Amino acid sequence: MIRVGAVGDVHMAEDNRGRLRPALDRIAEHADVLLLAGDLTKHGTLDEARVVADEFADLAVPVIAVLGNHDHHGDVPGRIAALLAERGIQVLDGESVVVPVNGRRLGVAGVKGFGGGFAGRCASAFGEPEMKAFVHRTTEAADRLRTALAELTPERADVTVALTHYSPVADTLRGEPPEIYPFLGAYQLAEAIDATGTDLALHGHAHFGCERGVTPGGVRVRNVAQPVIDAAYRVYRVEPDRAPADRIRSNS
Amino acid sequence: MSESESCAPEYLVARVRRALAEDPRTAELGVLVDVRGDRLVLGGSVATERRRADLTAVLRAALPDVPVHNDVRVVIVDGPDGHEELR
Repeated sequence: MIRVGAVGDVHMAEDNRGRLRPALDRIAEHADVLLLAGDLTKHGTLDEARVVADEFADLAVPVIAVLGNHDHHGDVPGRIAALLAERGIQVLDGESVVVPVNGRRLGVAGVKGFGGGFAGRCASAFGEPEMKAFVHRTTEAADRLRTALAELTPERADVTVALTHYSPVADTLRGEPPEIYPFLGAYQLAEAIDATGTDLALHGHAHFGCERGVTPGGVRVRNVAQPVIDAAYRVYRVEPDRAPADRIRSNS
Repeated sequence: MSESESCAPEYLVARVRRALAEDPRTAELGVLVDVRGDRLVLGGSVATERRRADLTAVLRAALPDVPVHNDVRVVIVDGPDGHEELR
């Protein structure tokens, strides 16, 4: 049993400094790891990143994050990631990490992701260069997620989690206006998740969405945007219940 | 945005949503904006009471004659209430 704590869209700045910390100081009672699903800051500034670092550093459990669109607004996402890393918060951008938890191994692969929409109602790389660039950004993010997830073989990880900011499915967007779904996620992320035997997908970004969904391939998806979960973080207890031989993996 | 006061509700909603997203005082993309009768109604949640107040302040400055019902709430950040088992 691995207890995965998760929250996204905390949008830290000076005015909410310390607001989460009372709950976080007791996190080891509830979770073995804390995953942050992007939009850690409000405007994507280094000052706000320092508030994030102060809020989430030195917890009793490992903290692993991806950035979100707000964290890119100040055009310094790399420096934000480096600042957080200096404080022990690992930021994934198309990478994976394995965390030992009570004799088990939790593998987390993370990427911010991007929009584009969902199968049958999505953007195509056709026409203007801006449109091609938009879709290329989506497919490139999904490809990097797939590669990172594929690194988490059953020999390396007992449970695997895909961590993104944008949603891989439309299920967890219910409550958002359907017209903006293409700005909230992309089906290519789910394709990567389904191709790699992932156990759980966590995302944020959709403040008016709902918590629970499933990929077309049957992987559970949870939207942990703070306005959705209405808590400092949510906890998912994941049991590694599949033998390695049963897990379908693909590097294609 | 003063000319917005007499424009169609759809354009008013679009301009208010853009203002709340692009004004650095708010930078809020996750706020619902609706026009009901002669007033703007805001919904959703933000991180602090100050951010909730900033929404009203930005709209009062941009649209001084349009009444605003700010029904945005502040998100709860208590510790987790239980957990979900995934098997």
